Amino acid sequence: MIEVQGLTKRYGANTAIDDVSFVVKKGEVVGFLGPNGAGKSTTMRVIAGSLGASSGTAKVDGVDVAEDPRTVQAMLGYSPEVPPLYTNMTVRSYVSYAASLKRVADVAGATNLALSRVGLTDVSHRLIDHLSKGYRQRVGLAQALVHDPKVLVLDEPTSGLDPAQRVEIRELIRTLAAGDRTIILSTHVLGEIEAICNRVIFIGKGRILAQDDIGSLSGTARMVRIEVARPEGAQVALAAVDGVLSVEQAGPVYTLRTSRDVRAEVAAAAVPFGLLALDGKEHLEEVYLRLMSAEAKA
Amino acid sequence: MKPILFIAKRELGGYLTGPIGWICLVVFTLIAALFFNVTLVQIANQGMQLGMEEGLTEGVVQGFFGNLTVIGLLLVPAVTMGLVAQDRRERSIELLLTSPVSSLQITLGKFFGALAFVLVMISTTFYVPAMMYWMGEPDSGVMLASYASFTLLMAVFVAIGLFASSTTDNQLVALAMSFSLSLILWIIGWFGSALGEGSLGTILAHISMLTHFDTMSGGVVHLNDAVYFSSMILFFLFATTQRVEALRWR
Repeated sequence: MIEVQGLTKRYGANTAIDDVSFVVKKGEVVGFLGPNGAGKSTTMRVIAGSLGASSGTAKVDGVDVAEDPRTVQAMLGYSPEVPPLYTNMTVRSYVSYAASLKRVADVAGATNLALSRVGLTDVSHRLIDHLSKGYRQRVGLAQALVHDPKVLVLDEPTSGLDPAQRVEIRELIRTLAAGDRTIILSTHVLGEIEAICNRVIFIGKGRILAQDDIGSLSGTARMVRIEVARPEGAQVALAAVDGVLSVEQAGPVYTLRTSRDVRAEVAAAAVPFGLLALDGKEHLEEVYLRLMSAEAKA
Repeated sequence: MKPILFIAKRELGGYLTGPIGWICLVVFTLIAALFFNVTLVQIANQGMQLGMEEGLTEGVVQGFFGNLTVIGLLLVPAVTMGLVAQDRRERSIELLLTSPVSSLQITLGKFFGALAFVLVMISTTFYVPAMMYWMGEPDSGVMLASYASFTLLMAVFVAIGLFASSTTDNQLVALAMSFSLSLILWIIGWFGSALGEGSLGTILAHISMLTHFDTMSGGVVHLNDAVYFSSMILFFLFATTQRVEALRWR
């Protein structure tokens, strides 16, 4: 559905994104992960047609964004990090303005549907200026999905929200993903990616560092975390297990870096110390930190 | 075509729901009424002395609109300063840039929206012809020519202001820029006359809006004046479209 090939964007001497290529299949929900300034927003803006690339192509449903941006924009919804709002309009008039700009045939119907989807029906008569940040974020989402687009590009849809609002938006995105809508979203909250995305793309310094299914990325078991009841002497015993590279202790919890999958051996070694729990999965957070530190060294 | 209408409608609505629009409208209406009074009193005094009614329309209407251009010069930049600059500052421009509308449609929509509001401002002076028809038999040709040339001039100011607004995300910079540009193009002919009859002087006089406005509001609409005003508008709309297109590259 989305094909990005060799995408590069330079600002003078700065390179915001450098030879970025990836494919998102129809119906996939893909998360962009990376530090601030890594090029996530730049990539999303190019796909949404609000930014021209220096070289490379971005295609949505086979249509090149640079060649025919209007066709792409008619089937794509984009919600930038800062919602593009006219604060002197009411919620309803803003969303219906967005609907008419996006060539919706039944503006009133589409507006009502979008408002109820993001839970804004009750505040639809209010001025956007008077809304809280969470509500504004939702107005930004309503604008992106009012024309029922096949593709949604959401730049940090949950930034600045409180935990309850985050959960709501996350649920909303999950509902939107139902059917075969394709979604790209960026976030700093790793748990969010694990909760909603099928696949994750790591971006650092304008380049793609890794991209894989959530399951295969985080299941590499290069890391074992165990909790024991009697920590005395456990450090030495664990470090002695073949394949364990390092052992870090934080109270009764030990974090082991290993060269291969040695969960069984570690468990056996820990039993004498009263093994309480063993977690052999590398979390997305650890994958992220590993990739970023590798990138920093390179 | 439709997107232009949607954008224009939103801009006009923005003026009618925001403070700047109303301030400009009220100030314009009040000062216009004041000018009308002053002009009327002046003409009445002269008329009594000379004892003639010939050219009354020209006197009143031309004097009135002559004064009003100065107010237009000051107020139109305030009306237009936010057109693009505020969208850029508040990032709402991104809605337009990611909707299936072209840069030309954005430019024209904003232009016609602001122009519609300026037409509302101008329409508050309709009591002037109404009173003149009630009091006597004014020269309709002069009246129409005056309104046409004033409207065209205001449209040029709107185009200049729109362009200025598209170059920055700071409304005050846009205000200063459009006022300066409008003022320079308005009075550049003065430098021309200071230079005498030379070719440069003639060229400057031709560029000056004042020259064209004076001949046109005299009741005789020359084709070259209309062409002049139209090409000024087209030039600044073209320049604005380029600026909006450039926003897609930064």
